Amino acid sequence: MCRSTTICRWLFCLSTCILAACCFAQQSSSPPSRDVVIKNAVVMTVTHGNIKNGSVYIKDGKIAAVGESVNAPASATVIDAGGKYLTPGIIDSHSHLALGDDINEATSPVTPQMMMQDAFDYQDKAIYRALAGGVTTSLLLHGSANMIGGQAIVIKHKYGADRDTMLFPGAPRSIKFASGENPKRVYGSRHELPSTRMGNFAVMRDAFVQAQDYMRSWDDYNAKVKRGDKDATAPKHDLKLEALADVLRGKLLVQIHCYRADEFLTEIAMAKEFGYHIRAFHHALEAYKVPEKLAAENIGIATFSDWWGYKQEAWDAIPWNAVLAMRKGVRVAIKSDSNDFARRLNQEAAKTMRYGGATEEEALKMITLNAAWIIGVDDKVGSIDVGKDADFVIWDGYPLSSSAVPNKVLIDGDVYFDRSLPGYGMPHYSEGQ
Amino acid sequence: MKRFSVASSQFSEGSWGAGTPAREALAAARIPVAVAFVWLALFGVRASAQPQPIVLKGGKLLTISHGVIENGALVMEGGKITAIGTAASVKAPHNAKVIDIGGMTVYPGLIDSETSLGLTEISAEAMTNDRIELSDEIMPHMHVYDAFHAESELIPVTRLNGITNAIVAPDSEDTLPGQDSFVQLAGASASEMLLVRDIAMPLNFTGTQRRNESFEKMKFPGTRMGMAAQLRQAFLDAQDYQQKAAEYEKKKADAERDKKSPPSAPKRDLKLEALLPYLEGKKTIVLAAEGASDLQTAVGLAREFNLKFVLNHISHSRSVLDYVASLKVPAIVGPIYETPKDYERFDAVYSLPAELYKRGVKIAFASFDAHNARNLPYQAGFAISFGLPPDEALKAITLNAAEIWGVADQLGSLDTGKVANVVVATGDPLDVKTDVKRVFIGGQEVPMTSRQTRLRDEYAAK
Repeated sequence: MCRSTTICRWLFCLSTCILAACCFAQQSSSPPSRDVVIKNAVVMTVTHGNIKNGSVYIKDGKIAAVGESVNAPASATVIDAGGKYLTPGIIDSHSHLALGDDINEATSPVTPQMMMQDAFDYQDKAIYRALAGGVTTSLLLHGSANMIGGQAIVIKHKYGADRDTMLFPGAPRSIKFASGENPKRVYGSRHELPSTRMGNFAVMRDAFVQAQDYMRSWDDYNAKVKRGDKDATAPKHDLKLEALADVLRGKLLVQIHCYRADEFLTEIAMAKEFGYHIRAFHHALEAYKVPEKLAAENIGIATFSDWWGYKQEAWDAIPWNAVLAMRKGVRVAIKSDSNDFARRLNQEAAKTMRYGGATEEEALKMITLNAAWIIGVDDKVGSIDVGKDADFVIWDGYPLSSSAVPNKVLIDGDVYFDRSLPGYGMPHYSEGQ
Repeated sequence: MKRFSVASSQFSEGSWGAGTPAREALAAARIPVAVAFVWLALFGVRASAQPQPIVLKGGKLLTISHGVIENGALVMEGGKITAIGTAASVKAPHNAKVIDIGGMTVYPGLIDSETSLGLTEISAEAMTNDRIELSDEIMPHMHVYDAFHAESELIPVTRLNGITNAIVAPDSEDTLPGQDSFVQLAGASASEMLLVRDIAMPLNFTGTQRRNESFEKMKFPGTRMGMAAQLRQAFLDAQDYQQKAAEYEKKKADAERDKKSPPSAPKRDLKLEALLPYLEGKKTIVLAAEGASDLQTAVGLAREFNLKFVLNHISHSRSVLDYVASLKVPAIVGPIYETPKDYERFDAVYSLPAELYKRGVKIAFASFDAHNARNLPYQAGFAISFGLPPDEALKAITLNAAEIWGVADQLGSLDTGKVANVVVATGDPLDVKTDVKRVFIGGQEVPMTSRQTRLRDEYAAK
């Protein structure tokens, strides 16, 4: 019985946010310049159906053409998919991999100045194991110990590359919020605030009031400077309040760990009170109870297919959640929140076909395009469309089943995983590197 | 003693060698009657419970034992399977309810070889958990049947996915955490569901049984040396206890013969008493190890005391798979989702079932879970991607499991005479998209409802 593992996973790997890969990420190696053609594949585009016996032409790491036939230079490298399925790379919209023991700065319930990039262990083999399961992009979030956690990073699973090459260029910044049992448990167990849901939201409201004051003091100062007031004194720079101010300025995608229907509504009210938008509720196991409320606010969910019962606020989870919410207009992603599940998100997505009758394309979208939207990179990845990054999985077997496994995984047109290779199966990595 | 030998026969199934009935009878005679009652098997489905014969007609029958029957028919009567064959060849009994299952796939109820069903409700809520007694490492006198919660909401959720039987085991943070029971996931009460009480006993040697949270809090056993020494002492103590009991029986017999006053009985010790059937080789130890070194230490201990055992987990023992095969015992595998070590390839654990199968090891899958036990078949399905033949994958959650647990005369395949635990689904039992439509346990159709379906229906209607 893996009780301790389960408890650890659920209580302490609880979820949240990001900073800006985009601020710091400079792609240090230039994308591969060679032309590549993948031919003889069943191309599952996600946006415009499946193409039997299809081909994809990759130029400089981007999709240059897709169809039954493509015009590519004769010099292009050809990958014959042998009739296998080709999907976009899987996108995990909720992960804590490569963050080691540094997931939760559980010393204060408000820590928006934490940058997950500072903890990012780009050599963590979990990145490789998820890659071998078809994952090409992940959102690495702060944990859910804090009502307002840190700022996330978005990575591409280019295992074997250097750190900065793994950061997703141009990805927007996300921040992780949490609610419910985890902050209660962490701080309540120390007899500190918050230990109730009232406390949770009071802590949050107080933080945003401080941020408003901070913004006002800078606005006042800037106005004085503009007026030529030479006696104007600059307010103190405060990293924490600056980060919260960026939330209020709409510069961060707000990703909220939240389980219960009533808490979705409280979170939405809070966002309205302070004027920010919520990008997605994560876990969101009770989305099926209030799907219209989420759809009306254009809030997505990043949820599990069928995990339940690991704690009180997961007791009303049902495996039909994803599809019931989707049918009411909610954008749904299936995510891992687990180094284990990250390796087989295709199976998790396939469960939505059984529980509620999602179509193949809807199911696939939950681990590709919808996940990309939650992260804010749906213009770059998540479907097989011209102009997007050439991030693909070629599958042994039908991907939406129990018995499929990636044969090859490409990122930016480059093969990063190849099951047929010995050792780890990675062209760009060998032990001792 | 008659009932006792019935219990013993549960363990003579399978090909991996049990004691002969004669030897078992001999051994039984040496065991105090009180002990015999403790491990008395209570296997038996209330045959009278099924009111009307049922015929499933027209589906594809995966018999497990004798291939696939297309357009088949299966008759359930008195809780048992009474006929199986092609639809044309099977005659429906008088008064039978005939259910057309054309286009469906039919297979025996799935068996999960380790769960904590009935011992937990909400993982993080301590008061809803009875998973392990952590006060000591040697707790063979803990019986999961004393805690088994028949009304658990997890049980309907699990059986709706076609899992009809399971081993219920305590958690693994003690070396000897207690004894497992074999359950049926439907029944009027716990006693009806607990088919075989104390069917086996886990012996865990994975390292997580150490009490070494920190130097400040370390207590014995803080190391693997400590674990091994403690186990050895426990079995030695049990041997002494056994010998004293035998001496007492002899003295008592002598006293009776000589018409003298009887000797005073030795003090009973439930903990040591619980180890006796295992020392006698009459019951099975479920020997859990992960890595190769732990595996060999654990096997060494088991051999030192002539314990009969099956293997459990062995997830990181790839370097010694030939050694594993040479032990000639079955292995419970899983969860195959266990993360490989950093030095291992991504598929090191996924491919373990196939590698063991190729070496002739009989395998069965376990979920090692409760809430997610319903996903047992998908684990078997995934193993196919790594070389396990599909038939063998299905066998590893049906007939193999029944054989390993000594219940193959009753469960594990669609054969005449077996308990009518039968599943009707839309397709391949191992695929994640397959929807289970009907579940029969003991020939009775189980309502396809759970707390989760009720929540679904309540909110979908809004």
